[in-house]
Amino acid sequence: MINPPFDVVALAVPFFILAVILEIVLARLGRARANYEARDTFASLGMGLGRNIAGLLTAGLVFAATIWVWKHRAFTVPFGAWWGWVAIFFLEDLTYYWFHRLSHERRVWWAAHVNHHSSQHYNLSTALRQTWTGGIAGTWALWLPLAWLGFSPAQIAIQQGISLIYQFWIHTEAIGKMPAWFETVFNTPSHHRVHHARNPRYLDRNYAGILIIWDRMFGTFQPELAEEACRYGIVKNLGGFNLLRVAFHEWIAIGQDLAGARSPREVLGYVFGPPGWSPDGSRETSEVLRAQWQARVAQAEAGPETQKAG
Amino acid sequence: MGLSAWAKLARPLPPLTETRARAILGEEFPGRTVESLWIAADGCGALARSGASALVLCQVGDGYLARSLPWAQALASTFRDGELRLDLADVGAPRARLAFDTWPPLGVAASGRPDSSGSA
Repeated sequence: MINPPFDVVALAVPFFILAVILEIVLARLGRARANYEARDTFASLGMGLGRNIAGLLTAGLVFAATIWVWKHRAFTVPFGAWWGWVAIFFLEDLTYYWFHRLSHERRVWWAAHVNHHSSQHYNLSTALRQTWTGGIAGTWALWLPLAWLGFSPAQIAIQQGISLIYQFWIHTEAIGKMPAWFETVFNTPSHHRVHHARNPRYLDRNYAGILIIWDRMFGTFQPELAEEACRYGIVKNLGGFNLLRVAFHEWIAIGQDLAGARSPREVLGYVFGPPGWSPDGSRETSEVLRAQWQARVAQAEAGPETQKAG
Repeated sequence: MGLSAWAKLARPLPPLTETRARAILGEEFPGRTVESLWIAADGCGALARSGASALVLCQVGDGYLARSLPWAQALASTFRDGELRLDLADVGAPRARLAFDTWPPLGVAASGRPDSSGSA
């Protein structure tokens, strides 16, 4: 099957709208924790709307590439087979984990993803702050192996939609912690708050889509800690709410760096290095920020002992 | 968006005080020592000196933008109509504007060093 029999994301749009309204009303009544800033909300909704338009520009290419790979598939997974749905649930979620990790750890893909993290708020509207440049960034190619394995384009599209819908509800401060067993297996509001936080301790953690088990397996899991509240946004927050700046600022910054690059190594570093990479190390990557934080913690812990010894 | 504006759910953002500004600077620039601090007249931002750097805080929505730039550049920035205009040289935040009564601040000698320690 090439075309899915239904569009799961389109079916979920009314739920998205109602959920945002519900979160705002509950927060207004003091029944839930949520902060909304009008211009920030506008930017998030504008990015969500714009994503649908921008997606049309590359949809044909993505679709054609998926069909081509599927026609050259190694196996055939029947659309109606239950085991096929179980398999794609895990494989698509694993693909998402690596897509998401790449989107944070390599600058060219961070440029497409950064807008999703550019709000200093964390509410359900933040979930809708989607990329305009994901198609250009080409990360969609990471899903092509699923087609090669024999999952139909329709099945892949449906599972991607399910993952996207799942990830909507975790963008909230209204829910504290889920039951322990759920927090162990699934991505939750608590885990994803950490992912959106800019505290050095929390940077580049919890890349999960639906299952948090991937972060636990690959060493990127960080629980939300009561003693360290999440500060949301990006390391260098934006100076406004202009949609074009939200969508393209990192791409322009890459262009500026490339214009001043003096060697192929610098070109590669600016494009494929981690965000914050610079030839002379004068900028700070997440790794550097975390190391600086750990050094401060170690120094603070050693301080009293040193004084006692003295 | 209208609903979110109606609900008035933005974070409360009272004018910056020295204590609050120092706390935010401590979060944004951990490990940096604030030698001198000037709070904007409208309480919507602050500028601090830390060695050869100027640390800038500027209100954006109900949060803050934080950047650093060379102190000499901050000192030489355009000051007009009670507004200091700082070029942050950053696509994500090209400029910051801070309301001050005077600039350079009173007490800062031609060398750029405060005449006395402590905050403005």
